[in-house]
Amino acid sequence: MDARGIAVRAGFALAAATLPFWAGDQYQLHLATLIAAYWVLIAGLNLVIGYSGQLSIGHVGLLSIGAYAFAILAGKAGVHPALAVAGAGVLCGVAGLVLGLPSLRLPGFYFAMATMAVSLIVGEFVLAQGDLTGGGVGLPVPSFPAPFDSPVGFYYLVAAAALVVTLLTWNVARRMYGRGLIAIRDSVVTAQAVGVPVFRAKLASFVFSGVAAGVGGALFASLQSYITPDTFHFELSMFFFVCIIIGGRGSILGPFLGTVVLTALPELVSPLAKLGNFFYGLMLLLVVLVVPEGIGRLFEVIRERFRPRKVESVPVRPDLPRLARAIREGGA
Amino acid sequence: MLFVIVTGLATGALFAATALVYNVMFSTSKVLSVTTGHIPMLGGVFGAYAISGLGLPWWLGLVAAIAVGAAFGWLTDVVAIRRVLARSDEHLWLLSTLAVATMVQQAVGLWWGTEPKPFPRLIPQDFTAGAADQKFWLPVALAVVMAAGLHAFYSRTMYGKLFVAMSEDAFAARARGVSTDRIRVASYVLAGALGGLTGFAAGQLTFAYFALGLTLTLNGFIALAVGGLGSNVGALIGGFALGLLNAFASYFFGGEYQQTIAVGLLMVVLLIRPEGLLGSRNVRPV
Repeated sequence: MDARGIAVRAGFALAAATLPFWAGDQYQLHLATLIAAYWVLIAGLNLVIGYSGQLSIGHVGLLSIGAYAFAILAGKAGVHPALAVAGAGVLCGVAGLVLGLPSLRLPGFYFAMATMAVSLIVGEFVLAQGDLTGGGVGLPVPSFPAPFDSPVGFYYLVAAAALVVTLLTWNVARRMYGRGLIAIRDSVVTAQAVGVPVFRAKLASFVFSGVAAGVGGALFASLQSYITPDTFHFELSMFFFVCIIIGGRGSILGPFLGTVVLTALPELVSPLAKLGNFFYGLMLLLVVLVVPEGIGRLFEVIRERFRPRKVESVPVRPDLPRLARAIREGGA
Repeated sequence: MLFVIVTGLATGALFAATALVYNVMFSTSKVLSVTTGHIPMLGGVFGAYAISGLGLPWWLGLVAAIAVGAAFGWLTDVVAIRRVLARSDEHLWLLSTLAVATMVQQAVGLWWGTEPKPFPRLIPQDFTAGAADQKFWLPVALAVVMAAGLHAFYSRTMYGKLFVAMSEDAFAARARGVSTDRIRVASYVLAGALGGLTGFAAGQLTFAYFALGLTLTLNGFIALAVGGLGSNVGALIGGFALGLLNAFASYFFGGEYQQTIAVGLLMVVLLIRPEGLLGSRNVRPV
């Protein structure tokens, strides 16, 4: 990592750590907490979409499972919230495993449809199991005990979780394992040929994203303090997806910027909030058509395009004396 | 019981027709477009708008539904397919069609409203007709006619043969002087028109509802994958099987588990016969 990269990351860390002191009002702090909770899920999902190239468009289903697991464990069963978060993570990891085992064997479009179906199934299930999940009425979600019961305290808790998940994904991404995932994304055949265990790598990253979705869902639910099936509409899935694609596949900073911008922008520019998903769709379309590398690489792409082409001329100078010697000595 | 069977056949016909629309687009471009389910949605919404909103006669509503569907098919090709196929990254078309689908769903939701609105009666008939109601037999008749028409089109006409040639080997077709780009555009317009017709015929069953698209995209795809990608008869079989299964499942277990059962069917078929019931084994996975 070069000096500029360190400076950028240090700047982000500083801004995130001091945010409660310079945020204008409670709402901005809430927004920052929401971004962090989303990022817990998106960071995990980034390994699946951004690195191994499996287009999961149904992660809202896993988020929903995590949120309801937390609400039921901590609220109805009275488990300590910290344990409930762990429980939600484990449950979603198992759900990711169960979902991944059959569906990760399927090719691209089939996989996308299977994940989308799962998000719909979870929604149906939540409505059907009314006495457990509250059905369409919803469920209140308990908050964390002190010192995390204030908005500032909870912000630090969620930010810490986001940091942990980011570090985990970063550790995966920059080492052999992450390279293997990128190889799977770019060419499965090549990845197989150089000895990447394709299915196992895909499954591991998917299960990890499930755990992250569970933890993110638990934190998200606690932040919202009340969840209904409508909280987890399919468009939320689309939002996670767009954040990663817009940020650029195969990077961590890009999707993070995408999450921040896409969460904050509709809140700050009110006409965009009304357009909502239309705006996300438009962003996705523009990115796919204009810069498939992602906004995060926009500057690189532009610089590459406008860089003056240096025409390199390498004059060939035959080594005449050596040639003459070779001829003299009879080609030996 | 008769009512369950009729409901199942009607929804199955809707899924089958959607699967046929998938097939038309897939044959020329090898793209499974996420926008497929949104074409019938547009047909239903614009049909209802033309007849109930503008007070036009039903045949003008039909023309409007087909025209809007065809225009949307053309737009899908121009916006989401053309440039992406030229770049030949296999994931990008999924993203671009998903983007177009989201945009059109949201736009219709903003304009038309998010509540399902009733679709007008097309043929004067009493509401007491029960199982013989037009909302049941219209989609069924349409799906069967559509499959037969597509078969005749593929086997009898020059254009149809060009479609078949492209679906078998696009490069070879191009080498023989077929303007593959133009055929692809034609297939998208045709798919759009058929989708608009589907939405119009099934409008009384589904209502004019903006969020119909995603459900149809999913269920039509399941019907297609069960029946076999690229096969029109398979699409019919898959669609009717899925519709009947759904209807009986909601009759016996209640309506909450429809999606679960549909996906269960898909998984079982994919495990036993990955290429679908009537699909050819050498179809390259997408």
